[in-house]
Amino acid sequence: MTRAAPVPAPVLPAPVPLRRRRRPNLAAWALGAYVVLFLAFIVAPIAAVVLVSFSSASFITFPIPGYTLRWYWRILEYRPFLEAMWVSIEVALASTVLAAMLGVPAALALARSRSAFAAVIANLLLAPITVPAIVLGLALLYFLASLSLGLSLTALVIAHTVAGIPYVTRTVLAVYRALPPDLEEASAVLGATRWQTFRYTTLPLVRPGVFAGGLFAVLTSLDNLPLSFFFGSATTNTLPVVMLSYMENQFDPSIAAVSTVQMLIAIVALVVTDRVYGIEKLTAA
Amino acid sequence: MTSAVPLTLVEVSKSFGSLQALKPLTLAIGGGEMLALLGPSGCGKTTTLRIIAGFETPDTGQVLIGGADVTDLPPNRRGLGMVFQNYSLFPHMSVADNVAYGLKMRGVPAAERRVQVRRMLDLVRLGQYEDRQIHQLSGGQQQRVALARSLVTNPSVLLLDEPLGALDKNLRERMQFELREIQRRLGITSIIVTHDQEEALTMSDRVAVMAEGRIVQVGPPTEVYDRPRTRFVSEFLGTANIFAGTIADRAGPFDWAVALDIDRAAPSLVRSDEPLASGRRVLIAVRPERLAIRPAGEGEIPARVQDVVFRGSYFAYELAVPGQPGPVFAYSQSRRDVPADGRVGLTWPADGAIVLQDAP
Amino acid sequence: MITDVEMTADAERPAPALASAAPARGGRGPYRLVRSRWTIPVLVFLGFFFVIPLGTNVWRSVATGQALTAGPVVFYAKLLRDAYYVGILAETLKVGAIATLLCLVLGYPVAYFMVRHAGRWNALIVFLLIAPLLTSIIMRTFGWRVLLARKGPVTLLLHDWGLIARPANLADDPVAVYVALVHVLIPFMVLSIVAVLQQVDRRLEESSRVLGAGPLATFLRITLPLSLDGVATGCILVFVVANGSFLTMLLLGGGKVTTLSVLIYQQFNVAQDTGFAAAMGNLLLFVALICLAIQARFLRRQGVKA
Repeated sequence: MTRAAPVPAPVLPAPVPLRRRRRPNLAAWALGAYVVLFLAFIVAPIAAVVLVSFSSASFITFPIPGYTLRWYWRILEYRPFLEAMWVSIEVALASTVLAAMLGVPAALALARSRSAFAAVIANLLLAPITVPAIVLGLALLYFLASLSLGLSLTALVIAHTVAGIPYVTRTVLAVYRALPPDLEEASAVLGATRWQTFRYTTLPLVRPGVFAGGLFAVLTSLDNLPLSFFFGSATTNTLPVVMLSYMENQFDPSIAAVSTVQMLIAIVALVVTDRVYGIEKLTAA
Repeated sequence: MTSAVPLTLVEVSKSFGSLQALKPLTLAIGGGEMLALLGPSGCGKTTTLRIIAGFETPDTGQVLIGGADVTDLPPNRRGLGMVFQNYSLFPHMSVADNVAYGLKMRGVPAAERRVQVRRMLDLVRLGQYEDRQIHQLSGGQQQRVALARSLVTNPSVLLLDEPLGALDKNLRERMQFELREIQRRLGITSIIVTHDQEEALTMSDRVAVMAEGRIVQVGPPTEVYDRPRTRFVSEFLGTANIFAGTIADRAGPFDWAVALDIDRAAPSLVRSDEPLASGRRVLIAVRPERLAIRPAGEGEIPARVQDVVFRGSYFAYELAVPGQPGPVFAYSQSRRDVPADGRVGLTWPADGAIVLQDAP
Repeated sequence: MITDVEMTADAERPAPALASAAPARGGRGPYRLVRSRWTIPVLVFLGFFFVIPLGTNVWRSVATGQALTAGPVVFYAKLLRDAYYVGILAETLKVGAIATLLCLVLGYPVAYFMVRHAGRWNALIVFLLIAPLLTSIIMRTFGWRVLLARKGPVTLLLHDWGLIARPANLADDPVAVYVALVHVLIPFMVLSIVAVLQQVDRRLEESSRVLGAGPLATFLRITLPLSLDGVATGCILVFVVANGSFLTMLLLGGGKVTTLSVLIYQQFNVAQDTGFAAAMGNLLLFVALICLAIQARFLRRQGVKA
């Protein structure tokens, strides 16, 4: 309430000249230096592997005596590497597509439900992430073997789909929950049928979530040794399985070369996803 | 250009669990009429709108649009236009694609869509903005796009859900007139849901005041404001001073003298279309702008000024009246001289006081 | 199944006469685009390939092989009584605990720096934290074998500085296991803490300073307590993942660090005792479930959203 009675205006002191003051923040600088060291620690082993993959020595030695591409040629010569790489990519893509086909509709159905039962189902969909992969792999192997699917590509895809469902579900749940429900209502009022609303409004809006979750599922699948090695056979060995068995016998830079190639595949997957949907949308999800 | 279509709700009710959001409600809205559903949050106004739109199915009753029962039709087959509270523009489409959406869903060819979209954007004065993205628009522009999008399909009824709530005050006032003008021009039957009494009064032909799941009063804005039937309506639409009293005797053809429960007050006048029996206890409402401040000794009611606040276009006086619980407010266009002891008298004309239906 | 209320709406109800009292109708609830029956495929799939396999795994651990003759809990009794297996269980928990503690101590300052000081560098730090996800764990583990090899750069550096007497293959030392585990797991810790720390309203810290607390007191009394949610989330995540890792122990530490996961791997590869392997898996799963129960029970108390 503004009182009607007048209040005397305060008297301001004479203006002082502006001065810029900067306090050196030692603690912040020390912290910054530590973070630089920390990031070096994170990057070091990866950089070391890339470096060694070009080393001309067939054992690990520093400094690198010379540079060569022969370990990359070795990948082409050693058939199990190429075959396993192909199996890995096949399994990663097939399982991710399957996980998306199963997980996305469910995530859409669960995202806005407030029933306790829906919460239970959502937790079930996310559960495979929390079960140690080695336990899941073991349990699935025996179960699928009893269905005589034991060491097949089908079994491998099923196992990786189970592991991929949480990733796809999680991001789609988050993206769809963040969307105002009015958008679909607006679409309906404007005359769109359910299918049209899904096709023109819902799907385009959740697509970044599908791609982000799918990317996670692909990357996890490519690297999921604990899940894959149970299903190992000549035709179903994924790349990590072959690499592990190779390392048990030999220790030369061809492992470094394969690792580098696998990293490049992952980077390609990332870039392709980024081209389809901007990276900032992915990190926002 | 739209043939005006009436909208009728018959005995429509809706419960959510144990909460009865809407008690059986019957309401007829004439063709081309703009009706405001006004009330505090939780009064059922939004539920009513969502039932009309088809987002909720009523537990009982019917929704009739132009005489046809649409109660069981999904939203997309009701032929409505709707402007949402936050506009709900599709963020992944341009302005033109947003406006064209409804036409596309109906299978209108692209060339025809372009013509219609341009016509609509011109109507809301956004002709230059076709290719903009939604996030590049200001709140007021988004509001216009939402309006264009809802009107392009020639809906029979336009639903407005707090359409101006997200705008700042100046823009809101401008858009109130603009929206009203477009609605009149198209002659489209419209329902606006709002909790803002000023918006309801400014924009509508009739106001339906809702509270606790039912309509408490329907009528033209001036009638609802000047002749509120209940204390709730009188206080929700603006400010009201509520006095309790007893009817004394008849003072004119439509005027009665009332003895207020106030110390040392002379009888005041109230106006009523219906006869009031002597000795009847009543509650009466007086708008602050109808209360006149007089020098002490004049007027029927002795009072003392507690505070004066400048509100821009008027001065608000806060007064204490002996025997009256709580402060009494009086608005005056000009500033009055108040004696040092603050003592004044209050009076009102007979038509300034309304007898409420509530029990005192 | 969630009741699919939309399906039960009586669509063929005859229209009532206008004047008559309106009959009650089955409310079909708000307009929802996606029907709950869309969850059925994934439920069938997970029921068949997730729930049933884990269930039969439990059954296998109490009703196959030795369990048939020596009683259903024979495998679990062996795991919890035999000194060797108790030692392995203890080693598993010890490795998990130490890795978790290291991740917390080393990771918290990084998270704090990212939220409070990094500014425009934040994106780069996030990228460098997430980038390892683009590489396989084998690559990262192999990287440590390279760095810690007898003639690897880290070993040579430590020798030059006189910290170790003569270059040795550090990769076969148990310390390598911890280094590699922390390297793999610390991004999860940092990102968990960052997520919560970002929510801490900076004005709370400013209020504390205005009220007379120094920077350290403000950190200890305001920032740290408010970020405990993220710390707990990160710790549980790291602990559970550490318990499930076995590749690191296979490739580093010279086989000197044996945890339950490593044992399952060996059991499967060598012994092929399915009942016993299943029992070990269930024990590991049990530990993970306890951790998650703790998380569900004790987290979410602190609402930091201001």
